[in-house]
Parts: sequence; C-alpha cells; structure tokens
Amino acid sequence: MRRSLPFELLRYAMILLIIAISLVPTLWMLSMAFKPIAEWSASGAALTWWPENPTLDNFRFIFGQSSSELIVSLERTAARPIVASLLAAIVGTLIAMTAGTAAAYGLSRFGKGNNLPLALIQLRLFPPMAVMIPLMIMWSFLGLIDNWFGLAVVYGIVTLPFAFWLMKTFFDDMPREIEDAALVEGCTRLRVFAVITLPMMRPALASSALFVFIMNWSDYLIALLLTTRDWVTIPVYMTSLSSSMTGQLYGAKAALGLIAAIPPVILGIAIQKHLVRGLTLGALKE
Amino acid sequence: MNGVSVKKADIAVLPQDNAGSEEKRLGFWLTLPAQCLVLFIAVFPILMQLYISMTDWSPLDGIPWYRAYELWIGFINYTDLASDSRFWAAMWRTFLVMIVCVPIQFLLGLGLAVLFVDEFPGKRWFYSTLLIPMMVVPAVAGYMFFLLFQSGGPVNDLLSLFSASPVKIAWLSDPSLALVAVMAADIWQWTPLMFLILLAGMISVPQDQQMAAVLLGASWGRRFFTIVLPRMKTIIIIALAIRTIEIFKIFDTLYIMTGGGPGVATETISVYIYKVTQQDLIWGYVAAIALAILIVLSVISAIAISKMSKGANAR
Amino acid sequence: MTQIALSNLGKKFGSFTALAQMNLTIGDGEFVALLGPSGCGKSTTMNMIAGMVDPTEGDIRFDDRSILDVPMSRRGVGFVFQNYAIFTHMSVRENLAYGLRAQGVSASERNRRVNAMADLLQLSPMLDRRAAGLSVNILQRLAIGRSAVVEPAIFLLDEPLSNVDAAFRSVMRSELKALQRQFSQTLVYVTHDQLEAMTMADRIAVMDHGKLLQVGTPLEIYNNPQDVFVARFIGSPGMNILEGTIASSDEGKLVDLASTGRSAPLALSDRAASQGLPEKVLFGFRPEQVNPDPNGTMALPVNFVERIGARTILHLGGDGIEAKAVLDNQIAMPSIGDILRFSIDPKMVRLFDPVSGIAIGGDI
Repeated sequence: MRRSLPFELLRYAMILLIIAISLVPTLWMLSMAFKPIAEWSASGAALTWWPENPTLDNFRFIFGQSSSELIVSLERTAARPIVASLLAAIVGTLIAMTAGTAAAYGLSRFGKGNNLPLALIQLRLFPPMAVMIPLMIMWSFLGLIDNWFGLAVVYGIVTLPFAFWLMKTFFDDMPREIEDAALVEGCTRLRVFAVITLPMMRPALASSALFVFIMNWSDYLIALLLTTRDWVTIPVYMTSLSSSMTGQLYGAKAALGLIAAIPPVILGIAIQKHLVRGLTLGALKE
Repeated sequence: MNGVSVKKADIAVLPQDNAGSEEKRLGFWLTLPAQCLVLFIAVFPILMQLYISMTDWSPLDGIPWYRAYELWIGFINYTDLASDSRFWAAMWRTFLVMIVCVPIQFLLGLGLAVLFVDEFPGKRWFYSTLLIPMMVVPAVAGYMFFLLFQSGGPVNDLLSLFSASPVKIAWLSDPSLALVAVMAADIWQWTPLMFLILLAGMISVPQDQQMAAVLLGASWGRRFFTIVLPRMKTIIIIALAIRTIEIFKIFDTLYIMTGGGPGVATETISVYIYKVTQQDLIWGYVAAIALAILIVLSVISAIAISKMSKGANAR
Repeated sequence: MTQIALSNLGKKFGSFTALAQMNLTIGDGEFVALLGPSGCGKSTTMNMIAGMVDPTEGDIRFDDRSILDVPMSRRGVGFVFQNYAIFTHMSVRENLAYGLRAQGVSASERNRRVNAMADLLQLSPMLDRRAAGLSVNILQRLAIGRSAVVEPAIFLLDEPLSNVDAAFRSVMRSELKALQRQFSQTLVYVTHDQLEAMTMADRIAVMDHGKLLQVGTPLEIYNNPQDVFVARFIGSPGMNILEGTIASSDEGKLVDLASTGRSAPLALSDRAASQGLPEKVLFGFRPEQVNPDPNGTMALPVNFVERIGARTILHLGGDGIEAKAVLDNQIAMPSIGDILRFSIDPKMVRLFDPVSGIAIGGDI
C-alpha cells in the first residue's frame, strides 16, 4: 500500500515528541545524579538542565566517601541495601521459578481440572496491601522481620503467578512429540524433564527469570513493611536518606535512583519480546 | 472469595490405567510447592485476616494475635467502616485517579499503537525507548516526579516559557495540585504498558480483513472503528482491567512523591491502609478494610479472568 | 465491465524480482486464470491490480486509464481472499452492506441491494446470523456477494478453493463458474491448481519465476504448450519430454531418441520446416498419446504400474530417462519389468528447443 510522505513525517514527529516527553523525568534524574551540591536546588534562572560541573561526588557519597562539599557522613552506606536488594530479588526469583516451573510443567502436561492456575491469577490481582496485616503478624511470629530470607520468600510468592503463567505458556508451546519419543524409548518422566525438556526450555527459563527478577527488584512496599534496618532494600534506603537532619540530599538520592533503575531497564529491553506474555499472564502472546 | 480456595490435585486413580496414575501422581508432586506457597500467602492469611477483623486487636495490646478472641467485637469494625469518612474519601480519590488516568493511558496507548502498527525505519529503537518508563522501579519513578515537580524544578521552568513571570507553583504542597502531579506520574509510567498490550492486539487483527474493508471502499477511520477496534475487544478489556486493578494498588510512586499529603490530599486507598497500619496501629480495623477491598477487587478480577481465559483460548 | 491491460509490469523486492515484463490484456467480461506454482509471481500480479502492492515498473490500465495513482479503496476491485476474510464479528447482512455503507449509499438503496444480492446467492435465510461459524460454501458465496454488491469493475479471486477439502472442490468450482456467468464480470483468478484453471477459465496465463510463459484457452495451453515448463506443468501427469537428435530417413526427418528408439517421421508444420530444425531437440508427447504397438519404433521398460480406476498410469524409463503412459484398462496391461513397445501419432509430437525451452515451429 502506498503511504503518503506527509503521513510518514507526521508519524515521526509525533513519535519523537512523545519520546522526548517520556524521557524528561529519567534524564532529569540522570542530570541530577551528576550535579554538585551547589546545583542541586538551583531554580528559576539558575536552573540548569545539564550539570555545569559534572561530578561523581554523589556516587562516592552514597558509598561512604565524603567530599569537601558533602561533609555529612552517612550512618550507613548504600552498599548493604544494594546487597539486600540483590539477595532478596535473586532468591525470590529462584523460589518463584522453581515452584512455578514445576507447577507449570505438571499442569501443562497432566493437569486437568486443577484450580491452581485460577488461584494464581487471583493472587496476582489482589493488592499486597490486602494481606499485609496477617503477613506482618506471621513474619514477626516466625522471626522473619528484617531478614533477607523472609523478604525473599514473600517476593517468591508474590511473583509466583508470573513465573507459573510464563512457563506454562512456554511449555504449552513446546511440541510434546519430542518428550513422547523419549518416553517410548523407556526414559522416566523425571529423566525426560531433566534431560530433554529443561535444556530445550533454557531461553524460556532465562526470559521468565529475568521478568520475575525485574518485578522483585522493583518492589518498595513489601520491603517497607518487612525490613526495618539491617536488610532495607535500595528504595527504602533511598527514602531514608532524606529524613536525616541534613535535609534533602537530592543528588545522592538521584545517584541511588539511577543505580536502582538501570538493571530493570536493561533487562526489560532485553526481554521485551516476552513482556506482553508476562504482563497479561500468558493471555496474550506476541 | 471466588476461586481462591485451592483444591488438591485430583489423585483419584483409574485402576486399569497404571501409567496414567503415575503421571497423575507426578503432576501432584510437581504442583505441590506452588500449592503450599499459595496456601501460605493467600488462604491462611485471609482466614487469619477474617478472624482479626472481628476483634479490636492491636499489636500494642501485648496479647499474642492468636488470643485476639479476647477482644472479640464481631462486625463492629465493618459497621465503623461504613461511616469512616477518611476511608470513603480515600476510595473516592482512588476512583478519581482511575477515571482520569485509565482513559488517558488507554487513548495515548491506542494512539501510539496506531503509529507503531506498520513497519517503518527505526521502529525497533523507538519502541524500546518508549518502554523505558514502565521498567523504571516505581519508587524511583516517584522520586523522579518528586524532583520534577519541585517549585524550582523543571516543570515550572518549562511553564515559565509560556508566561511572563517565572512560574512558582508548589505542586506537591498544594492540596488541589498534588493529585494532578501524582496522576501525571502514573500516566507517564503506565501508558507504555497500555501501548505494549494494545499494539500486540492490533498486530493480531487479521491483515486480510483490513484489506478487504479498504477494497470495499472503507476510509481509514471506518476500517479502524468497524474492523480493528471490534476485533481488539478482548484485548482492550484485558488491558483496561489490568490497569484498573493496578490503580487500587498504587502506592510506591505516590507515597514517595507526597506521602499521601499534603494532609490527606493524595491519600488513596493503599496509602490509607498503610498509614492506619503503621501509624494508628489499629490492626483489627485494618484487617476489615483490607477484606472489604479484596471483595471489591475480586468482582473486577473475576471479569478480567473470564476475559483472559477467553483470550488465551482464542489463541 | 472493464478491460484490464498490464504493460511491462514488474515488481522487485530489493534484489529479488517477483515479476518482470508482464504483458497481458484481460478482456471485458473475461474469466482469466493466473496459473503457476507458488512463488511464480501470480499473487504479486493480483495484489498490484488491487493496489495492495505498488509495481516498480510498467503500468496497469483499466479501460485505457492508468490506475497506479488510484488508491486501493477507489479502484473498484472486488477481491475475494484465500480465506474469504469475512468479518466474523458482524452478521451476514452487515457483511453484505459493508461496502455500500462505506461508499455512502442511502439506507433504503442499501437494503434493496443487500436483499437482492442475498436472494441471488441464496443467503436470505441467514441474513441476520453471525458470520462466524458458517460453512465454507456459504462463506464463499458471502465473500463474493460482499464484493459484488458494490458492483466492482473487476473481480479478483485469490486461490479461493485452497482451504476447501478435495471432495467439496468440484461443487465449489461449478458454483463459482455459475456465479461468474450470473455477474458476467471481468474476473481474474489466481490458482496453482490446473484443474481449477482448466475447468473454469476462458483463458489461462501460465507463469513461472516471475515470468508470463503463455496465455491461451485451456485447450490451446494443453495442446500447444509454447514452453517446455508449460508442457510439463499442464496435464496430469504432464507432458513427457525426452532428449533427442534430429535424424533423416527416406520418409523425412525424425527424432533419434538413442536407447528409446526413434520416432516416426515428423509431420512438420510449414513454419517449422522453413525455420529449420536444430540438431538437438526436446521430444514431447502426452502420456495419453502413448499407443502400445508391437511394431512401435520406441520402447521403454515398465518400472511401476499405478492403477487409478478407469485408467492406468505406467511409469516408464531407466538410465536417466523418465516417461509416463496413460492407458485405458481394456487392453492387456504390461507388468513391471516388461518392455513396452509403443508408437506416437506424429501429429501429437511437440518439439522444443533444448536451450531456450521454447516450442519449435508453433503448431506442428
């Protein structure tokens, strides 16, 4: 079909406009992260869109190195929250993927009339806020408050529906004939799963795991509820930065925000092919 | 709770079918971990929630939760809820965010999907770039918008370009404007999600049907409204349902931007529950609120689920 | 009521040439089939006529008016898609009325024409049913009716029978032909199935690798293929082609087929005689023309006997030679391993140039 040039130009103009708008918040934080303290709260005529004297002081600061301008010293550096975020998100991903993959395989191959898939959708839909009270009671009863493992278990459960549905649609897509051939050869189910199915599913497992990791990494509320001091994650730590007596540490927070934002953006773009599948719990495939 | 109850995998065994029974047993064991986790986070807590919501229990009382029956008050929490004006105001605010944000996100997403449905040079790059906002950690997104809407921040700086005197709007501390800033953040972050889903739906509309319409003389608009949109119906409902439900969960961005304030000006239902939990510590009451919300959401999600499974079957 | 003229039409996708130098004039009210294997350029041709694809060379004219600048929604082309592209979210009536509505025809006129079309196509009883789940022959009628109701200048049909199971195809074929007679509309039909082309079309255009090889009535194409590809492609099984050299005998020129034997003296047309013959030729004859004859000058071993009811197909050959013979069942049938001796009526022999593949001398 012939397309008109004006239409093509309009298309590019509109896309570029929307992209420009959508990048402003991210770029502003990026700029902020590299600004020296003097430029942090410059406003009006003094407001600069790009740092005039770009510096890495903000990054140094959150890791505990004070500079001539940022003489405040931090009670705790960002190192531990970064470890906490990584640990909880990774272990949570492992939990979700292990339970989710096993259940997905079981239901994809021999599950008829099982209620689990529906229960999992329900679980994804209701707000964590709604089970907050019992969760906090249970976790303090079990001594899991402010503990990376306690956080990881909740992450694992919250993202289980995504792991399950992603893996189930991938298993459903996989031709069964390959497994059947091996079964006829006399392999046991478990062996077929371990030797044939899992290796074939490696790309699917990787995409699903990354998707689940992004979700876990992005959490704020659960960590806010279940961690208090030792195992706070990056977003919780970030908010605590401003509550210190020094007032708003704009640049330092922006630097920390940048550190938190980069992994999911990169991973998300890497798995964008499967984003629709994941976000709609497998109802839509692209 | 529709659908939350989890039945154990049916392990009834047909005697003549030995291989089948082994498969069934394996299926049961494979789903067991997931079943347990669901039981652990969904079924058990909800029962516990129901129990606590019938009491006046608070963690400050010094009685362990399992003895909360000593403070049994029946349905008082629920009747209190009906006349809790702060609760209803929070509900109304959540609803307001929903009826403003979801349609805007839908229309923007749909418009973007129209721009992206054909092939054109650079499409992949533009597409990836547009998805960035939804990948940003919501708490960080909240901080981004907190920075943007400072009275000396870039939003006012941009607005100053269109006005004679420098604009000094205190977005986040003005009760009537704070919610606008919060909505802007939500629209920024979640329009890409709408776009992503709607584009996937639009691409799946059969090309030959669209061609057939054009060959019959249909204009672009007629083709769009009589073929493309009706064929996307299921996907549109899924996208709207996802966003509608997510609005009830809106917390991270909002809490970091405004903390629900100034006053209670941006207190949506999630923020309200959080505050009552953390500050007022009347957990019996919170349990009642949470259960009430759960019931509301279950109705919405029941609709979404039936559409989703239909969508999955249609493929 | 339109004549379509394609002149020097060509389409390149990057460096790949989908169609080159296509010249074809389709007369008013004519039923022309574009026939060829997949990838031969037939669908590209049709999509260019409809306006879904823009040509990179040449011109398309409807009644002497170039339509390259006319957008597809204004070309007045009725297009029937391979899977009919019925709007399954609408009723049968809404499907039929779609084009009229798009063209702004008034409600009363629309109703009248939809009802008339529904009567003509026997769709009246199901006008208010949803189009989803209708049977395939109803879908075909609906697809044609939906295009016909806006009175297009021409009809284009893109393999409309390829999704229909074999048993039902003959029913659909006759229905289609009857419909075309009713509308007496210029119609271009794309297919890879020669049976459909042979039974329905007024003329057939055989294409391969982006080139138009021959245009003619079904009988012309069958009897006098202009090209060795056409010869092999048309007919089931296709024409036998053997390599041979021209030799002379007392009775005139004949073809020496080496181990197979030699042909009877050729009955050369005046044109072939005047053109002269190359030394080497491709010797073509239809399997149906194989005439078992104990005194025949040609002989080939029988490899396989395929009985298909009224007739039997013999697979002949060896040493790189392959041929088939179609025999009636009445005669005594040779068995595998026998040597079949046969003769060919010289009038039924077709010769081709081994280099260019073009028929020698046209009509012999």
